[in-house]
Amino acid sequence: MKSALYIACLALSLAACTKNLDQVSPNSVVQTNFWKTDADFMSGLAATYKVFHDVNNGYFGVRGIETTNGRGDDFVIRNDVKDLYQLATFTNNATTGVPGSLFTGFYTAIFRANQIIENAPLSSLPDASKQQYIAEAQFLRGLNYYYLAMNFGSVPIITKVPVERTDYFASQSPETAVWAQAVSDLQAAAAGLPAAYPAAMVGRATKGAALGFLGKAYVYQKNWAEAEKAFKQLALPSGVAQSPFTYALMPKFEDNFVKTGDNNAESLFEIQNQNVGGSQPWAGENANEALGVTTAQEFAPTEVAGWFEVSPTDKVFNEFQREKAVGDSLDPRMYASLVWDYPGATYYNRPFTDFKLVFGYKSMVRKYQNWREANEGIYISEINEKVLRYADILLLYAETLTMQGRPAEAYPLINRVRARAKLTALAAGFDASQMMAELRHQRMLEFFREGQRFYDLKRWGLLEQEIKNSDKVGKEFFTARNAYFPIPQGELNTNPNIKQNPGW
Amino acid sequence: MKNVTLPKGGLWCLLLLLWSMAGAYAQGTTVTGKITDASGVGLPGVTVLLKGTSVGTATDVGGNYSLAVPNPATGVLLFSFVGYKAQEAAIGGRSTVGAALAPDTEALGEVVVVGYGTQRRQDVTGAISSIKAEDIRTQGSNTVQKSLQGRVAGVQIESAGGDPGSGVRILVRGAGSLNNNNPLYIVDGVQVDNINNLNPTDIASLDILKDASAAAIYGSRAANGVVLITTKSGKKGENRIDVGGYVGAQQIAHKIKVLNASEWAGVSNAAHDNAGLPRLDIAKNPETLGAGTDWQKEIYRVAPMQNYTAAASGGGDNFTYSLSGAYLDQQGIVKQTDYNRWNLRLKTDFTKGRFRVGETVILTKEYWRGMAGGWGGQGGNPVGSALKMIPVYGVYAPDAVGGYAGAYGPVVNVANPVAQLNLEKPETNSTAAIINAFAEVSLFKGLKYRFNVGYTNTFGAYNDYTSPYALGDLKGQNALFNNADADLFQNRSQMNYFLQEHTLNYGTVVGKHSINALAGYTYQNTKYEILSGSKSGMPTGIQQLDAGITNIASGGNAYQSALLSYLGRLVYSYDDRYVITGTFRRDGSSRFGPAYKYGNFPSIALAWNVANEQFFKSALGVVSNFKLRASYGILGNQEINDYRYIPLIASNTNYVIGQDQHLWSGAIQTTFSTPNIKWETSKTVDVGTDLGFFDNKLNLTLDYFVRQNSDVLLQVPIPLTTGASGSPPYVNAGQITNKGIEAGLAYNHKVGDFTYQVTGTFTAIANNVDFLGTGTQQIFGGQPTHHGASATVTEAGGPIGAFYLIRTDGIFNSQDEVNAHSQDGKLIQPSAKPGDVRFVDANGDGQIDQNDRQYCGSPTPKFTYGFGTNAAWKNFDLSLFFQGTQGNKIYNGAREDLEGMNLEFNYSPATLNAWTPDNHTNFPRAVINDPNLNSQTSDRFLESGSYLRLRTLQLGYTLSKNLLTSAKISSCRIYLSFDNLFTITKYTGFNPDLGRYNAGSPGGGILDRGVDFPHVAYPLARNSLLGVQLSF
Repeated sequence: MKSALYIACLALSLAACTKNLDQVSPNSVVQTNFWKTDADFMSGLAATYKVFHDVNNGYFGVRGIETTNGRGDDFVIRNDVKDLYQLATFTNNATTGVPGSLFTGFYTAIFRANQIIENAPLSSLPDASKQQYIAEAQFLRGLNYYYLAMNFGSVPIITKVPVERTDYFASQSPETAVWAQAVSDLQAAAAGLPAAYPAAMVGRATKGAALGFLGKAYVYQKNWAEAEKAFKQLALPSGVAQSPFTYALMPKFEDNFVKTGDNNAESLFEIQNQNVGGSQPWAGENANEALGVTTAQEFAPTEVAGWFEVSPTDKVFNEFQREKAVGDSLDPRMYASLVWDYPGATYYNRPFTDFKLVFGYKSMVRKYQNWREANEGIYISEINEKVLRYADILLLYAETLTMQGRPAEAYPLINRVRARAKLTALAAGFDASQMMAELRHQRMLEFFREGQRFYDLKRWGLLEQEIKNSDKVGKEFFTARNAYFPIPQGELNTNPNIKQNPGW
Repeated sequence: MKNVTLPKGGLWCLLLLLWSMAGAYAQGTTVTGKITDASGVGLPGVTVLLKGTSVGTATDVGGNYSLAVPNPATGVLLFSFVGYKAQEAAIGGRSTVGAALAPDTEALGEVVVVGYGTQRRQDVTGAISSIKAEDIRTQGSNTVQKSLQGRVAGVQIESAGGDPGSGVRILVRGAGSLNNNNPLYIVDGVQVDNINNLNPTDIASLDILKDASAAAIYGSRAANGVVLITTKSGKKGENRIDVGGYVGAQQIAHKIKVLNASEWAGVSNAAHDNAGLPRLDIAKNPETLGAGTDWQKEIYRVAPMQNYTAAASGGGDNFTYSLSGAYLDQQGIVKQTDYNRWNLRLKTDFTKGRFRVGETVILTKEYWRGMAGGWGGQGGNPVGSALKMIPVYGVYAPDAVGGYAGAYGPVVNVANPVAQLNLEKPETNSTAAIINAFAEVSLFKGLKYRFNVGYTNTFGAYNDYTSPYALGDLKGQNALFNNADADLFQNRSQMNYFLQEHTLNYGTVVGKHSINALAGYTYQNTKYEILSGSKSGMPTGIQQLDAGITNIASGGNAYQSALLSYLGRLVYSYDDRYVITGTFRRDGSSRFGPAYKYGNFPSIALAWNVANEQFFKSALGVVSNFKLRASYGILGNQEINDYRYIPLIASNTNYVIGQDQHLWSGAIQTTFSTPNIKWETSKTVDVGTDLGFFDNKLNLTLDYFVRQNSDVLLQVPIPLTTGASGSPPYVNAGQITNKGIEAGLAYNHKVGDFTYQVTGTFTAIANNVDFLGTGTQQIFGGQPTHHGASATVTEAGGPIGAFYLIRTDGIFNSQDEVNAHSQDGKLIQPSAKPGDVRFVDANGDGQIDQNDRQYCGSPTPKFTYGFGTNAAWKNFDLSLFFQGTQGNKIYNGAREDLEGMNLEFNYSPATLNAWTPDNHTNFPRAVINDPNLNSQTSDRFLESGSYLRLRTLQLGYTLSKNLLTSAKISSCRIYLSFDNLFTITKYTGFNPDLGRYNAGSPGGGILDRGVDFPHVAYPLARNSLLGVQLSF
């Protein structure tokens, strides 16, 4: 009987073991238990926004900033990170890494936005909450398609979460369809988003941000009439913000590029950078991830332990000096954007003469650098990337009017930007082409190091002309195909339904 | 009893039945005795076997044995030993049975440990390699595996360099998986993660189950082979004490030559001049710079090591015991690095009537002082930094924070390696307990039930403290590396493994028929958890988290998995001529979804002892042993991460929100899951033969195998457009085949006082990926430098981790040659200038890019081999062992960096011979910025990895008995031993024996195998030891 008892115990213990084969992760929520509460959707939105500043894949992360700026006629990149050097000298190809990362980032955000858009209607949240989450996710999805169209042209449009493995292999749509997707998402976002948020929610997409990008999306498609409609909702013909918006240029240009200028009156949309979360800016998406950026460290000179990856060209250095500001001084935007050997020039609390210009050009970057500190500290910069400023809206609005043959109406708009730059009011009587020339000049100065130059030149059809007419290293290798990135090899390798872009 | 519901009826009814029948069985007894040679001298290592069973033991050094025998009245003992005729003796109820063996026996009768039991060598049907304690000259190796290098046919062992306490990569019959390729380690019945922490002198035998038949009893965990380790037991009637110790010194075997300060400045200036860029300030006036700092000299040292072992063992009629302790302290050849280990092991065995109980308890405490990683710079660890650090810079800066100087100016941020070593202190303390206890009951004649409980616990404590520093000029200004606050990172991890096993073992002999049957049930459960925390800003001298004030972070996670299995084995032997083994295991795993949890792993094997056939007797004069074996079986691999079949929400996908910019915690699905993933299966066909010649003086084992791994668990890359391509879902998507031959040879001979043994092993394995994922699937791996492109591609038609590289085709000697390298009137390399490298446009698309990569070789050797000799003459003994590989390639990442001249760090002496317009060499021109990408990852830096190494040379002297008797010492041996005395190779890096084992990456970094990345390297040491072994 004793052995029988033993065997009974044994049998029971074995039955218990079988249950242990059903293990559930103690570390994560299972997907089927998610997408129920407001907190779930808010978490999902955070995960969608954050892709923009991802260290590897973020369009506004360090590699994204280096790539979007580095290909302009105003920047050079040294051959430290080979991929960046190849991109900046137009010797890149489909296997060059960074565009593949950015492409991955755009679709990561789209996948996440699609999860929100699909799951919100299935939840039992109030309709108003659902609408808000869907509109916000559509803003983010639209913005990612906007950047995809700008950079890659013809790409797949994905608006659903894949269910089966066969859903992974999407086909391309023409660039016009990608723009149309961006436009429809941004229109929906503009209709569903609030004009502003309470202080605790600042940083989320607003109606103004959606309208601004909607207008820009039309500008890129040269649909001037629709662009004008969008900008009209943001600004009065005088350049004063249209109610209910309160946008205004910051009194000092440089206030936009310092830490204290985050989320200011001029800003329609920013990428939020702050040293919160973990302590590692390179950690990737996990608890260790520090939520600032290392871009400023990459751009800082070696004398302050920076990695001196880039230099401004002398072309932009000279462009800043083309027109003097009032009192025969230089354009204050030049001092905010660059540092060079001028009397009393300081940089990182040291005289500029302490620094060596190792690229053979005359200046270094100040904009977005923490150059009033001794160095870039722990490499993590907290200055938000001002992705869409009111100055951009004013200049694009002016351009939209000019391109429709109404340069006279552009005056009040461009003069606001000029006035802030301590430039005199523009002389009257500019025709459309003179006004465009002035707008091009202003945009080059106003948006230096803001990732716009290359794409402005592209939509103006001036890419080849202006790059060849510059002192940029590698300019001789520029050809028309460089207007778009090639479809990344990583996509070609895995997706039989995709074709390479023309010329690549 | 009627109320009990039995879950798996059949087995448990059987168990019950057998239990109730057990009363009929009579008690066994223990037989002891001494086995001598013809002259009466005790013979050690003689196999003593109870005829017709698997019950056996071996004699100790004095020739004494002790064996528990269930049938003392009728039993017959069989004594056998290499070079002697086997002898039988009926026990006839005696408790002492001795024998004097006559030389020149017919066949070998040793016992081999197989899973859940032992077998006579002649009954073995599978491919099993056995290593006995005396075969391992472990004195010079701190781990067991390193001493096995080249000694086991079919097993490739690659060291990961000279890091004390480091692991190795062991591949049993090639790499079959893209996941875990580690064999399953079983120590005295308990599964362990690795065997690095065992004391080598505690090991009695090591049996490696290589083919599916041998390993099938371990089912889903056995696809990569099984290593069974049996630790030493006490011997009845022989209480003894063994102590041993050695002291030694290690030094770096091979340094990589780099430029001195003045040479470097010359190359740097040329590179800047050619690029039209201003020269570096620090490179002005090369002639005044002299030699500068020899950074390698600054970090390496002659490092001492010492090891002490003590063991007491013995036993009485009904018990044996073995108690041993060991201490090892091995400082590393890189300054500051250190490893020490304490071992304590107890193994006892106790018999009372029909019951037998026993246990093994192994306790280990280990300490590592590692070295810093990269500090965010481009030099990597101190080994990598010492290569790249410019010799112009100095080591110390007493006035700087931290006290060290460093690189400054517009140069690449390579950290001062001496500062790295001294200012960051990564330490690991680990304690491990391996406990196994069993109770065995003889139910009736031939039938035993065994209950086995295993438990392992590993606790790890990692502390990494970094002091504040500013590594710049002598005042600490212009520092490229700054750390304002002290940092402390700590983690604590714990792993528990629990095992319970119930097995029934039945053996009987009826006439010429012998049957051995095994049935069992096992359950095992593994739990892992980790907790981490870090802070910065501790006051000087304080290294506790409480004192930290900034950068506060914490984390933790846990994993659990379970495996539930049924197993069975039947061995049938007829007349010692024909043996058939059938094995079956059914495993259930928590790693797979409900419909895919269970897998079946059957195998079958046949052996034919041809030498025992009547018709063969005439050949016995020359051929003394001849066995043919064949086996086929299916094994599994389930070594993927837990919980991959359910879609999960990833937390900490965070962002920032609010005017105050606070953390906005994010969570979302970031990956896809695959509900239908299942086991990898590995099907192996093995045919082999065991041959003995000249009365088994010469023994040869040959095996041919085909191992096909299908349903390989693979993260098949999915399109980037899915938005979840970062971690693709696992699918069963590939097939990998390893085909190979392996041979082992041993020759023993004795001429007067001179005895010697010559051994050799040979392994040739061809690895091929048959198909992967979607057909054109490529998996990239093998990053060789900080920013370098991957060097290896795994794709259908080639071996795992094969080198696919852009090929080079010499140097352009003129602009005409640059212009001629064109397609359709367009230059293929528009950035090239005379003196640049000509790359091959393999796909003919008129440009050079990663699509031009071609197959350039494999990291898998065509063959590996080992050979050596053990010889003794009077009181002297000599052991020599060579080992090597042939036909493998290594990508030399150090050369890609040091020969690039594209960036501001130190260079290789080869750059002194760079192409100039006046001196056309085959080494590209110096040009900073490298517009032609001469330094990109290409076949320029791929080298032959073949080598032949004198692995061990040991010379011993045993003091004569007369001398010792008065001191009551039974034996005393003194020896001098050398490891890695020389290596013959064309490879120019630190060390061609390069595991680059990385526990953190897929498959232990199998895709990085053969890629030498100095940022993570630790060069191999050459060791010299003086030791003594004493027995009382």
